[in-house]
Amino acid sequence: MEAQRLDAFQVIADPSRRQILHLLSKDSLTINSLAENFDMSRPAVSKHIKVLYNAGFISIQDIGRERHCILKQDGFDELHKWLAYYDAFWGSKLKKLEALLNDKTDKK
Amino acid sequence: MAKIIQYQLFFPKPPEVVWEYITNPELIAQWLMPSDIKPVVGHEFQFRTNAMPEMDFDGVFYCKVLEVDPCKMLSYSWKFGPGDGTLNSSIVIWVLTETPNGTELLLVHRGFEGSSFMSMFDSMSEGWPKHIQKILQLINTTNNGSTEA
Repeated sequence: MEAQRLDAFQVIADPSRRQILHLLSKDSLTINSLAENFDMSRPAVSKHIKVLYNAGFISIQDIGRERHCILKQDGFDELHKWLAYYDAFWGSKLKKLEALLNDKTDKK
Repeated sequence: MAKIIQYQLFFPKPPEVVWEYITNPELIAQWLMPSDIKPVVGHEFQFRTNAMPEMDFDGVFYCKVLEVDPCKMLSYSWKFGPGDGTLNSSIVIWVLTETPNGTELLLVHRGFEGSSFMSMFDSMSEGWPKHIQKILQLINTTNNGSTEA
């Protein structure tokens, strides 16, 4: 799998990939049945699936002759990671701002 | 986890003073990061900090002023990425409200691409047993199918 390694935000920046995730959030699907939802070619759908797979958004299971795509937690964890980062980031920066602004309470 | 980051603070200072602290590069550098910010719509500027390779982050926040209402409201885009030209977007909004004894400052950091997916995954947790059930069923039927065939 040497498809370009994208981070979680880049992965879901693509509307087709978002659509795939939405479809998979309702049910696990085979690559063929996923492809039926799109105008693009099956190889194009496969490429998106590969990107989602590489980023940890889905897992793929071979069941019989079919490859099933299943939503997976890992990719979503990376998004959580950034939000958690910014939450902590602003929390500590704003504390500094508070200290700075309240330091000068003497002059009104 | 929230999809929007939001903080509300109060300062016993008039909005004009607080405004300076979120728009003047020298003052901002004291509490946030060095930057070349200007409260002018369309102005592009950067905040610089340490790179975090483990987060795929090159240490630069690329910003563009979106809205300016002096001493009342300021918003800018906030983009970040690994340094290969691809960027993740979000928006930072500052709202200042004058009160009888100071200023209320609201910070909202939102608009993260894909944040809607986090709730999607959360809401799925009930769906999981059903999914697994279905996969088990599929595995079983294919196994049966192939042994019988």
